[in-house]
Order: sequence, then structure tokens, then C-alpha cells
Amino acid sequence: MSRIGVFVCHCGTNIAGTVDVARVAEAMKAEPGVVFATDYKYMCSEPGQQMVKDMIKEHKLDRIVICSCTPRMHENTFRKMLKDTDVNPYMLEIANIREQCSWVHTDKEKATEKAIALARMAVAKVGRDFPLFTSTIPIHKKALVIGGGIAGIQAALDIADAGYQVTLLEREPSIGGRMVMLDKTFPTLDCSACISTPKMVEVSAHPNIELRTSCELEDVSGYVGNFEVTIRQKARYVNHDICTGCGLCETKCPTKVISEFNQGMSERRAIYKSFAQAVPAKPVIDPDHCRKLQEGKCGVCQAVCPLKAINFEDKDTTFTDTYGAIIVSTGYQLIQWQDLYPEYGGGRFKDVISGLQFERLVNASGPTEGHILRPSDQTEPKDVVIVKCVGSRDPKKGKSYCSRACCMYAAKHAHQILEKIPDSNVYVFYMDVRTPGKGYEEFYDRTRKDGANYIRGRVAKIYKEGGRLICRGEDSLLGRQVTVEADLVILETAMVPADGIGEVVHKLGIAMDADGWVQEAHPKLRPVETQTAGVYLAGTCQGPKDIPDTVAQASAAAAKVCGLFSKSEMETSPMTSKVDQSKCCGCGHCEVCCPYKAITLVEIDDREGPKKIRRTVASVNSGLCQGCGCCAAACRTGAIDLLGFTNDQILREVDALCQ
Amino acid sequence: MSSIIEELQSTVKKLLEDGTVGYVIGWGATRFPDRTTPVFITRPEDAHKLVWNHYCVNGTAKYALDDRYPEKKIGIIIRGCDSRAVNRMIQDNQLKRENLYLIGIPCDGKENPVCEGCQHKNPLVYDVLIGTPVEEKINPDRFKEVAEFEKLSQDEKYEYWAKQYDKCIHCYACRNVCPACNCKECYADQYRVGWQGKQNNRNSNQVYGLTRAFHVGDRCIECGECERVCPMGLPIMRQTKKMLKDINDLFGDYECGLNDSRPHVLGEFDLQDRDEFM
Repeated sequence: MSRIGVFVCHCGTNIAGTVDVARVAEAMKAEPGVVFATDYKYMCSEPGQQMVKDMIKEHKLDRIVICSCTPRMHENTFRKMLKDTDVNPYMLEIANIREQCSWVHTDKEKATEKAIALARMAVAKVGRDFPLFTSTIPIHKKALVIGGGIAGIQAALDIADAGYQVTLLEREPSIGGRMVMLDKTFPTLDCSACISTPKMVEVSAHPNIELRTSCELEDVSGYVGNFEVTIRQKARYVNHDICTGCGLCETKCPTKVISEFNQGMSERRAIYKSFAQAVPAKPVIDPDHCRKLQEGKCGVCQAVCPLKAINFEDKDTTFTDTYGAIIVSTGYQLIQWQDLYPEYGGGRFKDVISGLQFERLVNASGPTEGHILRPSDQTEPKDVVIVKCVGSRDPKKGKSYCSRACCMYAAKHAHQILEKIPDSNVYVFYMDVRTPGKGYEEFYDRTRKDGANYIRGRVAKIYKEGGRLICRGEDSLLGRQVTVEADLVILETAMVPADGIGEVVHKLGIAMDADGWVQEAHPKLRPVETQTAGVYLAGTCQGPKDIPDTVAQASAAAAKVCGLFSKSEMETSPMTSKVDQSKCCGCGHCEVCCPYKAITLVEIDDREGPKKIRRTVASVNSGLCQGCGCCAAACRTGAIDLLGFTNDQILREVDALCQ
Repeated sequence: MSSIIEELQSTVKKLLEDGTVGYVIGWGATRFPDRTTPVFITRPEDAHKLVWNHYCVNGTAKYALDDRYPEKKIGIIIRGCDSRAVNRMIQDNQLKRENLYLIGIPCDGKENPVCEGCQHKNPLVYDVLIGTPVEEKINPDRFKEVAEFEKLSQDEKYEYWAKQYDKCIHCYACRNVCPACNCKECYADQYRVGWQGKQNNRNSNQVYGLTRAFHVGDRCIECGECERVCPMGLPIMRQTKKMLKDINDLFGDYECGLNDSRPHVLGEFDLQDRDEFM
């Protein structure tokens, strides 16, 4: 017969305010197998834990139930506590009577009844618990960082500086991401390129960093400590081992292509470097526009290259490596506002531009060498309208979330215009101004003092009259229509996840939220981890954020990786799936639904009567298994059990609830 | 008809004589002119015992599951529905195609109400075809009965099914005959975990009905065998039809047991899946 102890926590008044905790403890004393039950103010506190340990000794308890907050909060605390006792850490059940009871109810009588029912379930389950033991797996101390923006760069540098090997993967020909496109960074107005390009160079020169540009993630298998990653190196048609980046080829290439880096406001060649400070500082050929690759004629670059580095026969190649940890830092892009906002011209007006286009216009290395000129006629605008929240905070047309950085860079844009163009007028249409951050409110104040006119309201329509853009909107503070004539309109558009994030997420077996941002394991307590062990998050792939937050998160993710790499082996959770091969019919439905690719079908030797046969059954790789239980639910035969949540244990809980 | 029988018998005889198959599953006569019974022909000289008439209603494919590791190929005489049953069990990894020799016969419907709405009268897969293919029609009323039933209120529907399942006697005939019920050990037979109550009462009867429907719902080949064999006359197929209708409404055209390898929708994970319930 099991000897169960039940410990009901008050959590101050968090639980005790709504649940009669003494009655819960009293009721549990009557449950079969319970030899001790009590309540206490803070069970997780030092004296609380000591009391539990003392009672285990005194009453010879062999398993315990803690009625407290969610197991996500303190299950590990109590498991650690049990390591000091004779009770196996997995002979523990948590009844969540806080989040699932006291916090969501007000009627004390009914809440107490519910708490008793939840406790009774846990007691029924703990009676069927059996000891589980952790095992260890070796860790391959090399990290993969996916995405070479500022987040990926920072994370890679931090890990490499700690002495571990890193591969930095970037699908574009150069690292740098969005930050290197920006002109100045708020609120200090540091030159963005001046603070990011040295880091890019550091990456390329760091002995512990293997930089892989023009590369994409092809396939991922394995598990924490031992990911097998296949990477596709896209054909560059330029042998970077030979090329010195002299740039002669670029000057001779006859094909002109719209520059992605300059946001469509200038041209590049078909053989190109994205920008002057690109890392690696060597060109690639854009096969979609190269005449030689498209039509078979030309080949000028090959002819002029003094080192014969051009190879039109270049093909995509793949290579595989083992990594212990992976950081996802795939970043963001701006929402395609043209499709969503026909009332702003839908892209028909050349002088209605995005914030990122403005960054290139005002940048000294941009298409206008830093002079703010209208794209339509290259004249200096005098009246500029800035529209915030285009696509953000607009659940009907765009995204319901706030993109966080736009209030500040709108203020920065206003400041830059007023500074560079004397006698200019800037009108900022806003819904709210959000400036939480060090020095942010001061910066916004300064911009208003500079003379920026902030108008609270949305712009309803932009149309062209003569050479000017007429912005009609509402001033909701004055409650009247306003019309502003502008020479240039800047739309501060929403951040959305970078294209292709879905595939990366799918390959890594991690989760996305409804908007496509990568899901963190816990929004407060595990913000840089994912539900897949060994995969971490950095930067805007997790949600909109500004540069300081991105860099901080990148360093946090790097710290997590370094923490993992500081040990040579790691403990794995024993709460994984287990297949009863005698029941398994090998239908493979578990294999299809496993999000972690932890299940494979294997052949085993078996007997059927006198006959020796080979039979197909499912097999779980416990290193990959994250204990989600999808397979156990999918198995019609009930041949799969999730240890710690066996079918038997769950049915006991249901029985207890239905008593 | 008689020429088909002759061709069938001679084909089977030859297959047994040359050792292509170990035995052949088909239909044989009984004492009653309007009944046939499944037969297992093991000797060439018994091939004449095979019949083919309006009363060949039993599904033939499921029997192969009793012999998953045969020494020689199993010959199965299959109609359209049987061929879908074969596909079902192959797609569920329970049978290997190379272990089967399929003798297909186009079928114009048998003494079985389910045949009226049949959309696949010709075998979808076979090694040899006896006779000539018959004309097939799309059944516009495939889900008519379910659609009518959906109009009832929730209480009325519950009352209806509660009364139906009050009749169930846990004989598990519907399970035994179903080609989608192909587990090695059925959950209902596992007494230790206690999934399925053995008592004959409303609760455990309904648990069986619901579990069965969910276990086979997205893999049902619509052969109607469950309903044909039910000794208590439960409209069992209406449950799986309801699930198939919902799947068709949610995920587009969906029929099981065809010659495609499309995974069953409820077990498949796809990023493009509809998820408005989230």
C-alpha cells in the first residue's frame, strides 16, 4: 500500500483567499493511501520545503502531492527537494489549485470543492506513479546560429568569445540584416552602420566562427546536444576562396537590377555585393538576372576577372554537421502595405515610401548620398507627413499587435528631416505615442520641441493633386477633419516575421504563434528558449523589438548555449514516450504526428505461434522525445505510454474526478 | 453470370495448381439459395465450390489479417469495396501487397442496401480481372442521410443515440468485420488499463460507440459491413459517415481506401491545416 502525503499551500492569500485550504487537507486525509495531509503558508519556501522533508521522514511517505500553483512554476523546485530524501523525484504530483482554481473563481465554497476534486485527482494519480530515472547524453559543443542580422551576429560573437565553435548561417550574400540598412539608431543617433559593421568584420575574422552566407537550412534531425543539420549552400557562381573582392566584375556587368538593399531606390548589377561594407566583401551572381545564366550570352565578368574566380557551372551543394545547440535569429521584414492599403495609393505614388526606404534615403551611403530627395523628381521635400501604425494595431487590415519600434523611429525620422531640411514641416499622424525605454521619452520630447507636429488620428486617404500628396485624416483630439498637403509621405509599417520562417520552424520542430512569430517556451520565465530543448531564440523572430532588446536577447540566448556547453553531458527528462511492442501493430500513426521526429518504425524478430516472423513496430528515440504525448493520444491500441502521464494514471485521475 | 463463375473457378483452379497462391478467399453456397458464406479454397479440385451471385455480400479482405505472415500469397476475390478494404489495410501497414494475389470482379451491387450508393463498383486494385468493368456513378446523396440527421436538436440527437446504444450487446461484431479495425490488440480487449467497461450499460455502451467511431472515422471505406453484421440493428455507419462528411466539409474531397497514399487527415500534421478552433 502506498503512503501518500498531501501538502496544501496557501500561497499567502493567493490560494487561501479563495480556497479553504484546511478543508482541502482535511478531505484528503480520507482518501485511500493518504497517511498525512496538512496545509502551510508557503510550501515552496525554505521552511515549507523543510517541513515536507521532515514529514516524509516522520511518516515514512513514499510519494507526495503538493496542492499549489502550476507545475510549470514549482514542479522542478519540489523535484529538487525530493533529491535530498528517499523519495524518487518523480513520485510527485502537483495539483494546480491556484491558476486553475483560486485565481479564476470567486465563490469560496465552490472553489474549495473544486480544489478538493483537483487534489483527489492528484492523489489518485500519485498512487499509480512509479520511480523514473534520468539518463545523460553527450553534448556536441558547437552552435548553429540561423540568421546573420544583429541578433545572430551578437549571439555568434558571444558564444565564440566563450570559446565554443559557432556556424553563422545567412541566406543573403552578406550578413548585417536590417540594422545595417538603417541610418541612425534612436535615441542616441549613433550611426547604425558604424556600430554594426565592426561586429560584422569581427564575425568574419573570429577564429571560432564559421561564416556561411548564401546558405539555407535544409534539414534538421537529432536532439539537444546532437542535432544533425544539413545546410544548402546556394550557388554563388563566384569562387570565394579565390576572389579578392576587387570589384572589377561589378563595374563591367551590363545588367542592371533593382537593388534590394536600397529598397528599390537604386540599381545594382547582376554580379554584385549588396552594399559597400558587405561581409564577406565578395560578389555573387544573381542567377535570375545574369545574361550568361539566363540566355547563355555575355560572360563579361568571367573575361575580366584577373583571378578566374567566376564559375558559371556552380551548383547548389549540401553539407551536414553536428551541433549541440541552435539559435534562431531569422528576424523580420516589413508588412506588404501596398496590398493592404489601397487608400494610401497601394504603391502607385512614388513619394509614399516606407520607413526603411526613408532610412536608405537619409543614409550617406544610400542612393541619394544622404540628401532627402523625393523619389519621383529628386527634389527636396518641404512638407513631410509621417503615418504611424500602418499595418500595426489594425486587426481589420494588418496585425493587431504594436510593432514597438515605430514610435521611436518615427520621432527619429521627424528629427532628421527637421535637421537636414531647413524650413521643413513635419506632421506625424499617430494613435498613441509609446516610448518606454531609456532616454526614449526625452528623445520624443526633443523632437516635438524641434517643431514636429503630432496629430492624433489616422490618415484615411492619400491622393495626388498636382505634384503634391493630399493626406486627409482626422484629428481626434480636436474632433475634426484635417487635410495636410505633403511632398513626401513616410509610412511606418508593421514588422512581420521574415519570409520562410514557417519552414525553419517546421524543420526545427518548434512552434509559431498566430502571427507567425516563433513561440518562446514561457513568456516570462523562459523567454529565449523554445519548447524544443537546445533550440533558442534571439531578436525579432520572436516578436517585434528594437535594437537594444534584440542585442540583449541575443546575449541571453548565447548565455543559455554557453550554459549548456559548460557541461560535457546533460541530464534528459525521463518523461518520454515508451512503446509496448507486444501491443504495437506498426500502423505508424504515431510517426506521422510526432512533431519532434522522435518515432521511427523498426523491424523486430517475433514469433507468431510456431512461426518466426519479422514484425514492424514503433520505436521512440528518448533523446528526441520531448514528452508531448501526441503519439500516446494517436495510438488507438494504447501501445504507447508517456512515462509520468501513463494511460493508467490518467484514467485513475478521470475516475477520481467522476466519483 | 455463369461465364463469370466459370472464368472465376478456372482462374482460381489454375492459381492453386501452379502454386501462385496458398489458398483463395471467396464465396461459397449454403443450404439457403439467398445466402452465401465466405469460403477458403485450398485445393484446386474445390474451385468449383466458389459462387458469384447477388447474395455474395460478405467482405472478403479482412480475413487476410488472420494470416499476416503467409508462406504463399493469399488469393482474395475482391469487389470494389473489398479492394478499398485491401488498400485500407495496406495503407495502415497491416498487409503487404506482395503477400496478396487479388482476383477482381466488377460488382453491380448485392443484396445489401449499402450497395445502392456505391461509387466504386470496379476493383481499384487487382492482379487479374474477371469480367468487364461496369459503369460507376457519383452518388450525390452520399451524405444526405447525415445532413438530414444534423437538423435535429442536440437533445434529440443525444436521445436517439442513447436509445440506439442501449441496444448494444458488446458483441464487437462491427469491430471484427471492419477493415479499418486492424489493431493487433483492440483497446476494448485490454482489461488492465480499463479503457472499456465490460458492463452492459448506457455508459460503457456509449464509450464503445464513441471510441469506435473516432478510431475508424477518418479511415472508413464506407463498405457498411459494421451495420450489416450488427445483430441489434444499430445504424453504426451513420457515425463514421458524419465524420467523413465533416472531413469533406473541412478539408475538401476525401474518400478512403483509394489508390492514393494520402495520409488520413486526423493523424496528419500540416502547417496549412485550418486552425480556426485554436
